Amino acid sequence: MIEATGLTRYFHGHAVVRDLSFSVRRGEVLGLLGPNGAGKSTTMRMLTGFLPPSSGAARVAGIDLDGDTIELRRRIGYLPENAPSYHELDVATYLRFIGRMHAMSPELLTGRMSEMASLCGLKPVMHRPIGELSKGFKQRVGLAACMLHDPDCLIMDEPASGLDPNQIVEMRTLIRRLAENKAVLLSSHILSEVEASCDRVLIMDDGRQIAAGTVNELSSRYEGAQSIHVSIKGDHAAVLAKLGEILPKAEIEVDADEAGASFVIKAEEGGAALDEAVFRAVVEAGAVMIDLRHERLSLEAVFKRLTSGERT
Amino acid sequence: MKQVLALAYKDWRLSVDTPVVYVAAAAFMLVSGFVFGSGLFLGGQAELRTFLGWLPLLWMFFLPALAMRALAEERRQGTFEVLATLPVGSGQIVAGKFMAIMWQVLLLLLLTLAYPLSLAVLASIDAGQALAAFTGALLLGASYAALCLFASSLTANAVVAYIIGFSLILSFVLLDKGARLMSPDIQTWLQVLSPSQHYESMLRGVLTPEDVVFFLCFSMVFLMASNYQLERRRWI
Repeated sequence: MIEATGLTRYFHGHAVVRDLSFSVRRGEVLGLLGPNGAGKSTTMRMLTGFLPPSSGAARVAGIDLDGDTIELRRRIGYLPENAPSYHELDVATYLRFIGRMHAMSPELLTGRMSEMASLCGLKPVMHRPIGELSKGFKQRVGLAACMLHDPDCLIMDEPASGLDPNQIVEMRTLIRRLAENKAVLLSSHILSEVEASCDRVLIMDDGRQIAAGTVNELSSRYEGAQSIHVSIKGDHAAVLAKLGEILPKAEIEVDADEAGASFVIKAEEGGAALDEAVFRAVVEAGAVMIDLRHERLSLEAVFKRLTSGERT
Repeated sequence: MKQVLALAYKDWRLSVDTPVVYVAAAAFMLVSGFVFGSGLFLGGQAELRTFLGWLPLLWMFFLPALAMRALAEERRQGTFEVLATLPVGSGQIVAGKFMAIMWQVLLLLLLTLAYPLSLAVLASIDAGQALAAFTGALLLGASYAALCLFASSLTANAVVAYIIGFSLILSFVLLDKGARLMSPDIQTWLQVLSPSQHYESMLRGVLTPEDVVFFLCFSMVFLMASNYQLERRRWI
């Protein structure tokens, strides 16, 4: 649905986006992550036809960026950062204006407006000026406006910015529901948000793609040594001795008390073999295992590691 | 065309939902009423020419106010990004914006119809001359509206757009005045380019195709310049 190949954009001789390639399929949500100035908004603006790329190509909803951009804009829904809208207009007038600009028939428009008002929870504020609404409602108005014409692709720049935690959960549910039959590209600063609502993530820094994949792939790719947390009941010294015997190369931290102990085991080779070895050590030492869990590198840690230069 | 109308209607709603158009209409009627009334009561002349003669000056102050927000405010509020990613070309955006300003110009001119109507009660007026003069006023308004729309496309600040629009109109007025100091050849050329000079002839009741074509071309040049400006902004 969205395919970008070697997208590059210069502003005043400075490359803001460099050689970016990615794709988003129907039914998929791709999250663009990156620090401020990484080139996320510029990438989105290029895909909407708002900014022409300096080089590279992209195909959005079956239309080439250098082709009929008016037709392209008909097939996409774009929510710019901060969801700008006309503060003096009421919500219904604004949505009607957007629908008319999409050349929607009055009957279709009325139906879609009512659908969007229910979906985005706008019914109570339909006749209030947008300028009087809270940030959360303004964001929802922007979302309703970009989905009004039922586009194939949704491109949303920071859709969750300025929302409170409840609204973020609502927005996440909404995006997941929308993504069932659309291609969704969104950018966010809220990493947990991307982690929860995106199928895949593309991390950008200084205009370049520095990592891409599912959250799980990124976590395992960049976590390096595998860490597992183990809690036991029983003789921790015996367990420690057995662990040392079975996993001679592992780095083991112990936090023990009278009842038992917790271990953090870091080993070069993880997976099922490590779990099995740990389990065997605990049983052979005559202790009882209470908990065994894997420590996964959070997206936040991957992001921090990649964008602060400490790449592995 | 439907999209152009939708955009013009949106701008019209924005102007009637804010005090700008009411303040402009009230101030316009106050000043034009004073000019008309002073001609009638102090000058003792029951004619429209006094008021219509002042109209270029009134347009110079009022049209930049009506047009200053058109594109500048869209850029300041970030709504231009919404507008430019809707399925319309920049030409349609310019046309919609121009249409919305022209609706306001028409509103102001309709309000001033009170003057010829009140004169018609006192004396007989030359309907042909009044029609030519009002057509001239509308065409002059269209030319200055296009000029001020262009000014609004140059900046994201409405006040700066007002100053640019005012200065551009003033420079065309000064072109006409300055031409009188030049040699006859240059004078003729400069006066051809002056909207107020063309308006003067329409004010006398002479409606020539040359004048109409001049105003249409003048408006078109600045609408195309606004369109160029919108397109250019995508590249910088």
